[in-house]
Amino acid sequence: MHIPDGYLGPTTCGFFYAVMLPVWAIASRIVKKTLKAKQVPMLAIGAAFSFVIMMFNVPIPGGSTGHATGAVLVAILLGPWAACIAVTVALVIQALLFGDGGITAIGANCFNMAFVEVFAGYYIYKLISLKSAPGSKRRVIAAGIAAYIGINIAALFTGIEFGLQPLLHHNAAGQALYCPYGLNVAVPAMAGEHILIFGWVEAIVTALVVKFLQRQEGGLI
Amino acid sequence: MKFKSHNYIQRSLLGMVSFFKEAIFAEEFAFKPGLLQKIEPRIKAALILSLILASIFIKTTPLLLVLYLFCLLLAALSRISLIFFLKRTWVFMPIFALIIALPLFFTGRIQEGVLFVVRVLTSLSFAVLLGLTTPHTLLLKTMRSFGIPQMFVMTLGMCYRYIFLFAEIIENTYLAIKSRVGGAIHYKHGQHIATWKIASLWQKSLQLNKDIYDAMLSRGYTGEPKVLDE
Repeated sequence: MHIPDGYLGPTTCGFFYAVMLPVWAIASRIVKKTLKAKQVPMLAIGAAFSFVIMMFNVPIPGGSTGHATGAVLVAILLGPWAACIAVTVALVIQALLFGDGGITAIGANCFNMAFVEVFAGYYIYKLISLKSAPGSKRRVIAAGIAAYIGINIAALFTGIEFGLQPLLHHNAAGQALYCPYGLNVAVPAMAGEHILIFGWVEAIVTALVVKFLQRQEGGLI
Repeated sequence: MKFKSHNYIQRSLLGMVSFFKEAIFAEEFAFKPGLLQKIEPRIKAALILSLILASIFIKTTPLLLVLYLFCLLLAALSRISLIFFLKRTWVFMPIFALIIALPLFFTGRIQEGVLFVVRVLTSLSFAVLLGLTTPHTLLLKTMRSFGIPQMFVMTLGMCYRYIFLFAEIIENTYLAIKSRVGGAIHYKHGQHIATWKIASLWQKSLQLNKDIYDAMLSRGYTGEPKVLDE
């Protein structure tokens, strides 16, 4: 899901930085206003937590492993605005220090994972769980469904961004300058692998973590 | 379905080891007396970011190749082992880009495929070069010069430290699991182990938050953070 440099053209990269700037500004303002002083380290810890969730290999049928992005889980635990900052910070560190995800694509990656996935997942979780008890099974199911839909919406956006590249950026001979596949290939490829594999990993991880946290400390979720 | 325990746990452990190795190698290269290491971090960051931008704007393969060769030259002048640099930059992104581009080579769209792979390789190489020649904490500090809000810079700096703490906790956890698991694990059991560890890491995070806030208070924190001071 992390878009590297070179997949998106300059216009697309600039567009997503422009879209994310006000989102980051609003997130900073809201979090600064609502975060209690003693929760200040929580943002950084939440960012580190969302960074290392990807290091947990989760076995999947067939003998292989996958990993979750954890964006919806962090949104459920921290709230959407704080999660937006935490996931952004994790993505920036990955891109800047470890070359995982492009620097020019930080805007697009943050739009997909720190904004779309976080907010879609969080509000789907809220919508399904309604006013159920913190320790209820409904919340576990809500977390799984929210994570599955959240990551699939993010994957769909990523597929659309890839697929638009040949239309937006091509030379006089009509040759693609960046991601070379159109919407008819990029969208099914991105959506397919997330609907069939990664969405389930995300759903299982998010639902089970919520379930375990309910057992450890019921009022947490 | 039974899951070979050594596959799943060993893969996690190897992931941790490579994460630490990469960070340690990066720090080692960052302190070598090479060309890029001598340049002031803010100027270097601006220079390399411009080169990454150039690799995105260039529209022809030959020009991109020139830029890539320039990147290799910069790496050599910065006393980075070329074999290490090539290994670090070719695995995994450009190889993945090559696999993506493969169908193009069989459908007569060779130029598009080559341009795509060379572009991914060049931009990634510059990004890795920046990370290898600058101490990570210093690199995060330079972000202040680019007008990034204080809340993000503070969170970035603190987050970077906790990543290592968390990675160490995860490594120890997997080592403990490996030492206790003899045979094969059903994949569902493996999923429970991984998610249980994520949940307990979150519990540890909450405890850590309390400890750090107490430490901040004891050092005179009054609500206004002072970040990454000289």
